[in-house]
This record gives sequence, C-alpha cells and structure tokens, in this order.
Amino acid sequence: MKVLFHWLQEFVAVTASPQDVRSRLSLAGIAIDSLEESPAGPVLDADLTTNRGDCMSHYGIARELSALYRLPLKSIAPVILSEAKDPVSSVTRVEIECPDLCGRYTARVLRGVKVGPSPDWLKQRLEALGQPSINNVVDATNCVMLELGQPLHAFDLDTLAEKRIVVRRARPGEKITTLDNVERKLSKDMCMIADAARSVAVGGVMGGGESEISFFTTNVLLESAWFEPTSLRRTSKALGLRTEASTRYERGVDPEIADLASRRCCELILQLAGGELLGGVVDIYPAKAAPKKIEITRKELLRVMGSDVPDRDIEAILSALGFAPRRSDATPGAAGSLMAAWECTRPAWRRDVSREIDLIEEIARHHGFDKFPARMHPARQAAARLPLADAEDRLRERLVALGYQEIVSITLVDPTRDALFRAEGAAPAKLTNPLAEDASVLRSSGIVTMLQALEWNTNRGQRNLRLFEIGRAYTLRDGKPVETRILTLGAAGLAREKSIHEPAREFSFADLKGDLDCLGQLVGCFRWESGVPAWLHPAHSARLSLNGVILSEAKDLSSCAHGVAGQLTRRIAEKFKLRQDVFVAELPFDPLCAALEAARAKIRYAPIPRFPAVERDFSLVLADGVTFAQVSEKIRALAIPEIISIEPGDLFRGGAIPTGKYSLLVRVVFQSHDATLTEAQLTDFSARIISSLEKSLAAALRTA
Amino acid sequence: MPIPLEYTRRTLDEIRAGSPEHVEQLFADLRADFDAASSTVDSADAWKSFRDAWIGRKSGVLSAISDNWLKPAPPELKRVVGAALNQLRAHVEAVIEARRLEVEVSADQAAAVREHVDLSLPGVARSLGTRHLIRQTMDDFERIFLSLGYSVATGPEIETPYYNFEALNIPETHPARDTMDTFYLDLPPGALTQYLLRTHTSPVQVHTMESHPPPVRVIVPGKVYRRDNPDSTHSYMFHQVEGLAVDTDITFCEFKGTIEYFIREFFGPKVKTRFRPSYFPFTEPSAEVDASCIFCDGAGCRICKFSGWIEMFGSGMVDPAVYGFVNYDAKKLCGFAFGLGVDRFAMLKYGISDLQLLFQNDVRFLRQFP
Repeated sequence: MKVLFHWLQEFVAVTASPQDVRSRLSLAGIAIDSLEESPAGPVLDADLTTNRGDCMSHYGIARELSALYRLPLKSIAPVILSEAKDPVSSVTRVEIECPDLCGRYTARVLRGVKVGPSPDWLKQRLEALGQPSINNVVDATNCVMLELGQPLHAFDLDTLAEKRIVVRRARPGEKITTLDNVERKLSKDMCMIADAARSVAVGGVMGGGESEISFFTTNVLLESAWFEPTSLRRTSKALGLRTEASTRYERGVDPEIADLASRRCCELILQLAGGELLGGVVDIYPAKAAPKKIEITRKELLRVMGSDVPDRDIEAILSALGFAPRRSDATPGAAGSLMAAWECTRPAWRRDVSREIDLIEEIARHHGFDKFPARMHPARQAAARLPLADAEDRLRERLVALGYQEIVSITLVDPTRDALFRAEGAAPAKLTNPLAEDASVLRSSGIVTMLQALEWNTNRGQRNLRLFEIGRAYTLRDGKPVETRILTLGAAGLAREKSIHEPAREFSFADLKGDLDCLGQLVGCFRWESGVPAWLHPAHSARLSLNGVILSEAKDLSSCAHGVAGQLTRRIAEKFKLRQDVFVAELPFDPLCAALEAARAKIRYAPIPRFPAVERDFSLVLADGVTFAQVSEKIRALAIPEIISIEPGDLFRGGAIPTGKYSLLVRVVFQSHDATLTEAQLTDFSARIISSLEKSLAAALRTA
Repeated sequence: MPIPLEYTRRTLDEIRAGSPEHVEQLFADLRADFDAASSTVDSADAWKSFRDAWIGRKSGVLSAISDNWLKPAPPELKRVVGAALNQLRAHVEAVIEARRLEVEVSADQAAAVREHVDLSLPGVARSLGTRHLIRQTMDDFERIFLSLGYSVATGPEIETPYYNFEALNIPETHPARDTMDTFYLDLPPGALTQYLLRTHTSPVQVHTMESHPPPVRVIVPGKVYRRDNPDSTHSYMFHQVEGLAVDTDITFCEFKGTIEYFIREFFGPKVKTRFRPSYFPFTEPSAEVDASCIFCDGAGCRICKFSGWIEMFGSGMVDPAVYGFVNYDAKKLCGFAFGLGVDRFAMLKYGISDLQLLFQNDVRFLRQFP
C-alpha cells in the first residue's frame, strides 16, 4: 500500500527524513519496499503483512509513527459546514437482514451536491497513490478510505427504489452488473446491498452501475459499513474481484470508525461539491461488542523474549498503539517489578491482537528486535542424522566417483510421458489444479525425468552423459498417496572420450552393469536376471535383485519398483528425441541403503595369503546358451578350497569355432594359506575341472 | 677401452723390476695412465668397461697386479708392492665412484632432453561426477545444525490440509492461504481425505512434535511446491530446510543467537544478520531474517536494491496456538522455527540469477560445482 509522506505528517509531526521513516517502519514490521518522489511529495510503498488491516490507511501508519517517534497522534474531528434540520431518517431507511455478514451499516444523506471534477490537490494525491480521479464525490470517498482505512460507497439516492437500503443475501439466480461493466452471477453466501427492488452493490466489494454517482446526481446516500472478513474474502474470491475496499475488509476494518469516517467524508463532500447534510445518521450496528481486555505480565515477556524492557517503554508503546495499559498487579508503584502486570484494552482496529503473546510482539517490535541480545543455548540431546543418511552418502559418493552427475528434477511431469514407465494398474498422483498440462502429474518413476534431463542436454550438444538422481516416485494406492525413494541412473554417448592417450569408447550395457556392480560391492552384490518391462531392450537389460531378494515388496505395482537396468528401446528413445543409445537403471533406494548397512556390519578382515597364487587358463568350447555363471558354478561345486577366483578371460565366436558354439577362456586362480602349491596338485585340480565341465556342460577343451 | 698395460699380466720378475724404487715408479706410471683413461669416460657404457678394466674381479688391472705382482713378489718387495697397491686401489675406487656419479648426472640430463614431455598436455582424464548444488547446500545446512545438536527429520511431500495449514494455525479462512498457492491432488470419487502438495516443510514440525515429547531440535530438508508460474525466481517445486527448537529455556535471544551463528557459518564471518518484524500465522513474534549483502558487503548494490541487506527467510517464535495442536504445554514451553529456502541460499552464494538453472540439469551447469 502506498502512502504520502506529507499526508502522514498531517497526523503526526514527524521531522525525520522520509529515508529515516522508511527504515524505522521497516524495522518495526511495516516493510517499506520503495520510496519515490511524486508531484504530491515522497511516496512510501508499504508491503503489509496480512494481519495488519489497520495499517491500510495513512492514519494507521501515522499511529505506528507516533509510537516509533513517541509523538502525539492528532485526532480526527470533522467540521460539518452545513447541516439541515431534516433528519436523515425522514428520507431513508436501512435494514440488515444478515447481521452475520454485515455487522454495521451507517447511512448519511447529502442533498443538492454538485458533482464535478476534483480540485488539483486531490487529483494529485489520488494519482500519486495509484487511484484514478473520477469525480469530486467518489474521490472524497476514496480519499477518506486512504486516510482512515474505511471503505465508503456513495449511491445516487434518487436511483434507489423507495430510497432505502436492505442488506441481505443474494437471491437464487440473482445477477448484478458491477461498476466495471461485468455482469456477475451471485450466490446466497454473498452479502448484497439492495434497495427495495434489487441489488445495487456487492457489499464491501464493488457498487453496481445503475446507482453510481453521475454528473446528474444531486442527492447522495453515503454508506460506511463493516462486513465480516471471512465471508467477504470468499465472495471476493468467488467473483474473482479484488478491490481497494475488499482488500481492506478482508484484512479487517475497524468497525468503530464507520461513523467518524462517514462524517469526515461528508465534511469533504460539502467542501468539494457543496450541498447540505441531513441531520443525524442511520446507524445499524448489530456487531457492536464490548472492548476486549488483555493482560500482559513482565514474567511472560521475559519468558518469551529473554531480555527485559523498561516499564516506561512498555507503557509508551502500548499507549501509543491505543491499548491504554493500566498497571494491574498488587504493587503498581514498583517500577521494574518482576511481578508487574498491565491490563490493556484492545482498540477496535486491532482485531489481530487477542492474546498476551500478541501484546509481547507489539512491545518487541516497537522496542526493536536489535535490542534483544543474541545468545546460544546448549543442546540437551545428541543429534541424529536420518536413519539411512550415512548409507545414502556412501552410495552418492560412489556414483560421483564413477563419473555420474547428480541431477534434481521437477517432479511434476507430462502424464503421457509418465504413463510410458508406469506399471499397469498403478494409479498416478494427478493434480486437480495444474498450471500446465505437461506438469500435471507427479512422476511415477524417475525414468521420465531422467530422460527429460538427457533430452535437454543432447538438444544442447551435450552428448556424453552420465546422470543420477536420488528422489521420490509417487503413486496412489487405495486412494492414498505413496512416496517411494528411488535411485535412477541414465547414460548415453561415450564412456570414454578420445584423448592423446586413449581412443574413444561408446557407453555400453557392460558399462552400466560394471557401474552398478560397483554399487553392488557396497550392498552385498546384485544378482542379474532376465525379465524386464517392455520399454527396455530385451537383450541388453536385466532385473536386479539383492541377496536373491527382489528389491521391492511391491513388484506388481510399478515397473520400477524392483531394480531394472538396461538399454531403452528405440521406440521410447525416439519419443524423447534421443537418437543415440540410452541406458537407464532404477532401483528402490531405501532397501539399497539398508542392504549397505547390513553388508557393512558383516565386514570382517580376511588374512592375506603368504604363499604365491597360481593362474591356470581353460580355453573352453561351449554350446550357445551355456553361461559363464554355469561354468563358474560347476567349478565351485568341486569344492576345491584353493580356488580363490574364477574370471572370464576372453570370449569369441566364429573362426575355427563351429556355429552354435562359442569359445570362452576361463582363468582360475589357486592359492593356499598353508603352502606353496605343487605342480602335482595343480595338475590334479585342472584335471578335475576339465572332467567336470566336460561331463556336466559338454564343454570341450580347445587346443591352441 | 683397450685392455691396457700388458705388463701387469706378468710378474715383477718377468719385467725385471727388482728394486722398491722401480716398483714405485711402476705404480706412479699406472696411476698416471689411470687418470688419463678416467678422463675419457663419458657414458654409462664407457664407465662400465672402465670399471671392469680396472677393478673387475677377474680381469681388472688391480686383480692382475694382485695376482701377478703381489702374490709372487719376493719377500723384500712384498711390503712395498702391498702398500702401493692399496694406495692405488683407494685412488682408483674413489675416482671410479666419482665418475659414476658424473656419468649418471649427465645421462639424466640427456634423458631429460630426449624424453621431454609437454607439461601443458593433459594427463589421462578420469571423468568424475558431482553432487547437485541443492544437495551440497543441504549438506552444508545439515553440518551446521548437527553441530548445534539438531537432528534431521523428514516427512511426506503429499500432505493433508490439516498438517500443511490447520495445525500451523492457518484456518481455511485465513488470508495467508492466498499467499501460498497450493496444488491439490485429484482423488478418486468418494475419497475421504483431501491431499495437497505441501507448500512448506513446516508440516514436519507438527509430525515431529506429535511423535516426540519436548525438548525438540530438528531440521527438515525437503521439496515443497507452490502453484506459481515458473520464472527466474519462481518454480513449481523448490527446496526448504525447516528448523524447529522447543524447550523450557529457549527465548527470542536464543533464537537470534542460533540464526546469527548459522548465517555466519554459511556465508562467512563478515556477514551480519538483521531481524525485521513480520507476520506468519505459526510464529509470534515473527521475523524476516536479512543478511548483509554478500555482493557489496552491505555498501549497497543492484542486487540488494541499494539497501545493503538481502531478505533471506522467515522465522520466529513458535505461536502458542501451534502447541495446542500437538499437546505441548504452551505455558511451560517456548521455541522458535525457521524455513530456509535452499535454492535461494545457493543462488545467492554462487551468484546464480535464474532459479530454473537448478532444475534444468544442464551438465554445463552441474559441472561448475565440483
């Protein structure tokens, strides 16, 4: 809200500079965003918090200044130039049918006014505050609203049926064309200002076109009312209509000021447009309440703020803000007493203050937050990280070491893209009110966002990519949201770029497998099995399990809920305009972390052998379909304790190898903890291995 | 090197050296020959032949003298020959060792020239990944608060309105709800509970207090969502770290001390903190925390709009009404809460002007924060 510096000075004789006022207000909770010059003098723009409806006027901000600078606040005393003998009640009547929506309605009537343009001083003020000048009568209402915070509305009395006001709920199907020339449908929760026949204004929001002040208007009915903030806020939201009046009402206008503001406005209209004011006022005030009493004690102030404020400051601040503090403890004469208490009377404009803590805040912000010393307090308990945080760090560290960049994606995605990777039957977490279709569902897996990241980079010439994300996937299960932590990997392009030392190498499935097995070392090894969702290349992909257990309890729900890894099918890759081979993997993350901790807990030192290790190579010819794992298993089944490793050394097809077969070189390493192995022992081991493989896998030993 | 000094292969008798003077002359000549030969040694190979020629065990000159002159020498000459031989040996060995060092140094120098490497060429590259800047910033926050005894808590991103709003003293009619535009979840017809995407990490305050008796000290890192059109300072999704401390002896002063410590730890010891009164429904008194501008050290610049201060985050003393929702005794307990915008801190610390950069995952951005 904008305020004019000179207008503030009319209520409080501040001699400080506008810059000083700006900073003092800001440090007392009235944030001043900018200070600019205008033809009407310096303009301060206050970014008010939603609780401070009382500061939506010059008078309200002047009150804050009076407390800050300890200067008196001038009172408002309108002087009515010309008051007729006829009472207003002889001309008009007001009825409130809905006192729950409208707590007070005052009406005054001015006769014989001459509607015309406003004088320059008024136009200048309004314009400086961003308010267009309409005519002298409307400008007077706006001027008083800006001055005192009370929204006012002037009706052309002669357009009102039976010249009377009924405040009521909107009737079923009722419509009104507001001042902005929009026809608006009304609902029964809306508070309408009506005459004997129809609605003439949406109460507290905007007037209707038919009763507005025109240059032909001579008789004016001036409304100064109080509307219930909550229902008014609903009305304003439902109509999509926020006005200067509605923002004030929804933050809370002072119901007590309605009559004073009305007289102040009449004073101004008579000055600007002539005419005369009918005697008295019609004032229907069902919401009149006794002022609230609140007590504040020094003990509580100290308990919350941790540092004292002197009596005279407490009293000066509360008095200036209108709380009329009165010592209410047993020894009111004792200055600085720890038992001191003050009984305060809440002014009607501070409906946001209702508790002792609210008064403490008032004192603290006017005393100055900077006056409270900074201290540290000792911890009473040991701090704990999240249960799996250390495991998460280890996995992240390893991924970084393997060359993967961590990404963070916006989890709201395109539903069509998301559906590609969602398991059949899984319900997506859709938004009711998305801002864009391509961000209208929470991702059901990290694959969709991973591919978006790969897409973004390849579109920008970044082709060699290795990315990972640790995040959440979201679905609905039985109408309830389920959030699952996931680890997603994505890779494309070169595994190694060409350099002066090494040639380039494309990223392949074997790279992905190798990288994942590096994580596997931390979590107790993955088992790789076939059987993957349709979006993965059937030959270059696998399902991962851990210690023989599939990684998720809910393997049927999401294709990514168990671990999968592999190459994306062409068909899917093209949907993301990815023209190079793309590799992805996704694993449920919490089981991985848990497995890491379990694996770590089991680690024990194994003695380093003192005797030399010996390698033996077996060049085998095997039928297609026989796997390395089978070979390795058969060798292990011989239970030769000296075998410490079995590794594949070379693999090829073609050449001298007949079709349907392939050649596999297997390197077995033997080592004993007790002695150097003899040639005789090694010959025996080799013979047993060859004979077993020949028998069980029909392997043939290839002769060089 | 030619095998020198054929006469050392014969006995003294054979070369008719019968007097000590003659013997000494022979040794003096040998020494002169040795010195002359040593000066021609200029490579490792030449040095090896030279060494073998003089002190080789089988065919070296010194062995030959020992075998041919000393052993068969008549008793009257044995002492003279022995002494002269020892003298010569000491000289020979010292010179050979000295020449070895010289030859090695010059060989190294030659190698350095021959095998010269362009040091500006890169080594074998290992591509390493990076932690995302958001992660790095959250880790920084976590480290600072762990050191102050704060545990880490977490909670769901899909929340109920009760935890996101009501239990934080934001009833449905509260104008503050307008300032936090909220995404709601589309649920099957007949669903009883409404769900939304949390607009702040504060709901975890409530979960934490519901499940833990006081005292409490936690931070809550996580994603939050607002229904704002994306631009350089807005995003559908961003990150917060919520903080909460509740105890019987916490006051506004402890709140200030903790926040000031945090700001200094994160931005550096020169950065000052300022508390401005503000309003949040779940804190009272509420404060906006400003840090002195890290770009101009508070002198005033474009980024701090020439105020010298940058608004960092909202915070305050927990509103007693919040304790009512979690059965904490508001008369005995007091505490504070704050909500750090992780993205904002990262942007300010590293001079990033566009929030979207944090979520585009452009590797040219990610690599800048190793």
